[in-house]
Amino acid sequence: MKHLIIGAAVAATIATGASAQDVTLGRFFGACEDAGTDTKASVGEACIIQSIINAASAEIDGVTVTTLPTDWGNYYDQIKASYAGGTAPDIHVLHRSSLAEFAGLGALADLSDDLAAAGIDTADWAPAALSAVSSDGGIYAVPMDFHANLWHVNMDLMEKAGLVAEGKPILPTSPEELLAQAQQFKDATGQNYLAADFAQFPIGVRVVLALMWQQNANIFDGDNATIDSDAAKNAVQAITQLFGAGLADPQLNYADSQQAFLNGEAGILVNGTWVVDFYTDEATKPEVGLKSYYVADFPTLFADGATWADSHMWAIPASLKANDPAKYAAALKVLAFINDHNIDWARTGHMSVRNSVLNSEEYTNLPHRSEYAGTAAIARDTPPSARYGAIQDVLNRELQAIWLTDKDVNAALADANIEVQDLLDR
Amino acid sequence: MSGSAPQKWRMNQTQAAFVLLLPFLATYALFLIYPFFRGIWISLHDWNLMAVAFNPDAKEFVGLHNYERVMWGENITWGAFVNPLVQISGLIGLALSIFLRRTGRVSKVTAIALAIAAVLLVFLPGFHPGEGGRWYDRRFWPTVGNTMMFVGLTVPGVTVSALLLAAALNRETKAMTVFRTLFFLSQILSVTVVTLIWQIMFSPRQGLVANVTEAFGGTPIVWLTDERFAMAAIVITTIWWSLGIAMILFLAGLQDISKDLYEAASLDNATGLRAFWYITLPNLKRTVTLVIVLQVILQFQVFGQAHLMTQGGPNDTTQVLVRYIYQTAFRDSDLGRASAMAVFLFVIMGAFSVLQFVLGREEDR
Repeated sequence: MKHLIIGAAVAATIATGASAQDVTLGRFFGACEDAGTDTKASVGEACIIQSIINAASAEIDGVTVTTLPTDWGNYYDQIKASYAGGTAPDIHVLHRSSLAEFAGLGALADLSDDLAAAGIDTADWAPAALSAVSSDGGIYAVPMDFHANLWHVNMDLMEKAGLVAEGKPILPTSPEELLAQAQQFKDATGQNYLAADFAQFPIGVRVVLALMWQQNANIFDGDNATIDSDAAKNAVQAITQLFGAGLADPQLNYADSQQAFLNGEAGILVNGTWVVDFYTDEATKPEVGLKSYYVADFPTLFADGATWADSHMWAIPASLKANDPAKYAAALKVLAFINDHNIDWARTGHMSVRNSVLNSEEYTNLPHRSEYAGTAAIARDTPPSARYGAIQDVLNRELQAIWLTDKDVNAALADANIEVQDLLDR
Repeated sequence: MSGSAPQKWRMNQTQAAFVLLLPFLATYALFLIYPFFRGIWISLHDWNLMAVAFNPDAKEFVGLHNYERVMWGENITWGAFVNPLVQISGLIGLALSIFLRRTGRVSKVTAIALAIAAVLLVFLPGFHPGEGGRWYDRRFWPTVGNTMMFVGLTVPGVTVSALLLAAALNRETKAMTVFRTLFFLSQILSVTVVTLIWQIMFSPRQGLVANVTEAFGGTPIVWLTDERFAMAAIVITTIWWSLGIAMILFLAGLQDISKDLYEAASLDNATGLRAFWYITLPNLKRTVTLVIVLQVILQFQVFGQAHLMTQGGPNDTTQVLVRYIYQTAFRDSDLGRASAMAVFLFVIMGAFSVLQFVLGREEDR
């Protein structure tokens, strides 16, 4: 009997323990309990990504995936601390904007020579996706999406304001038109024309950045901060004129601005691609104020089209590749699985990174997809910088100072310029 | 048998004490003394959190450079009345300390402590950037100011409300036991739960505070993104959260006061408020000092409330020192500069610990 038990234990160890690789995974996007393994049925970023991860864990032979608990707001702090402590997760998500910092320090594994063997075809990636995951000639991550700022539109309210033509919203083409249409909207509906998170996350920053890029300007050029400029002032004033006239409320944070839009208390919500499927779902519910939902490209108020964009991607620590080839191979299998399910992730509203998906009927038939087809062409971001997070924080602080505490625009832009210059000089 | 037994080696009292203290001392040295000196060591380096983790040689000794970049600036000068409100109150404090000592109302040590604090109040706010000058780090001193403001509002708030609650609940009835438990309950919650509760309370759309305001015909205040109310919101949250332990300390102090004193007082017609003022308060003096100093040390380390409720905003009005240290160390990976700020915070809290020690000794006499 004793021998039997020992024999069974050894057999079980061989069957599971010896060959199974437990891959730890770090991500933001929020928590989703009971995401299941059906990657076609889940709704919202958190549940869609978790269903893909659960499916990877269930379907890849000999690999289980454990999702580590992380918090959105402190994600990068947590990841950096884990790298510093030598306990980084085997796979983790990051933004294109953070790749420069992580890859530059040698934290990430160079995947260039291992992707093909893992079944990931880099030739299928859109050129912009390949360039997003590349740094100094190496490929340091597997891209998952492009995401960008959109204008989410309540068509019933726009109709009431006379701002709909041929089934599409009439959107402004200049700052003056923006003010005029917003006033026309308020007069007809009594509601605010535009809502966005101007008080918490840097969504207001991204609006101002887009309006700067539309004037062919930027916040820094090489090692020189260039925020204290007429273009920046024009961009800020295009927004603050709405606050001044009472046509938008700068004090709403992310949750409150979203709630205002869903309640039917705002015509436009400026937010990212990540909520398209969620709002589509909400608009079908009888208790939700938003009934007729439309998604529009970020309008061009100045010379050229531009909207803020970034990219989510998955990376593996360099230490894993160097020290544990078996687990590294398992981690690559998980990345390949996520890459294969790019169409499922695109259901969130994000733009796909794979040509084969972009050209598929399943992709073009996703809800509202055709309404913001122009966004890919106008997607922009600031130049790569290891200080990206700190620079965004400076801008968020100074811009909030303008619209939440009435700081003078010139003074705020001058202060932002000094602080960004300090960060570039460090 | 007794004569042939070998002489047993016995520890004397000092040796025994040392052996018994050894586990504590070892833990204390490993987890407090060593990290403390390590922190000072790091503060003397240009030390990138991640770069040094991958390559231990990536740090560079820079001496006091981090302290200079954090606390000093270009072309800094000193003026007598740059910050008149603070500096004049410092002068008043100095005059007060001399007056109190001369009239013999306070002891020498207290007078000296008060005088030192007053002199610092006159001296430190006098520094400012001269013409064409600037602070190297424009956020550091405002952040220190915010932290002081937070401590200055929270500590009296906690102390007074805990004292009043303790006085009201210091009765041996079932109901009072229930109330004592209820008021203490908030203390056991974690900062995430506390801030979640209060974010909902303060929400202009669904919050209780907004609903009450609207019921009385007012427009709801957007507490967390309005620069006039954001700090107040954090202070209110903190007072609610930290009330429990201060209340328990006061209750313990109250129960130490002999009933005879109140009986004697009531014969002299001193009851209610009078008894509170002339008997309860003087007898609670030591507890009050303890609560204030403990609270000051605790509240200087405020982090979670500002980090979770307002993210330091709007316009940095609720940015506090520990949150700035955290951001510098982990978001900006600048461990050297963050450690320099942490050493500064240690000096402040160390000063208050010394103050408690001094005041405590004095009252023992």
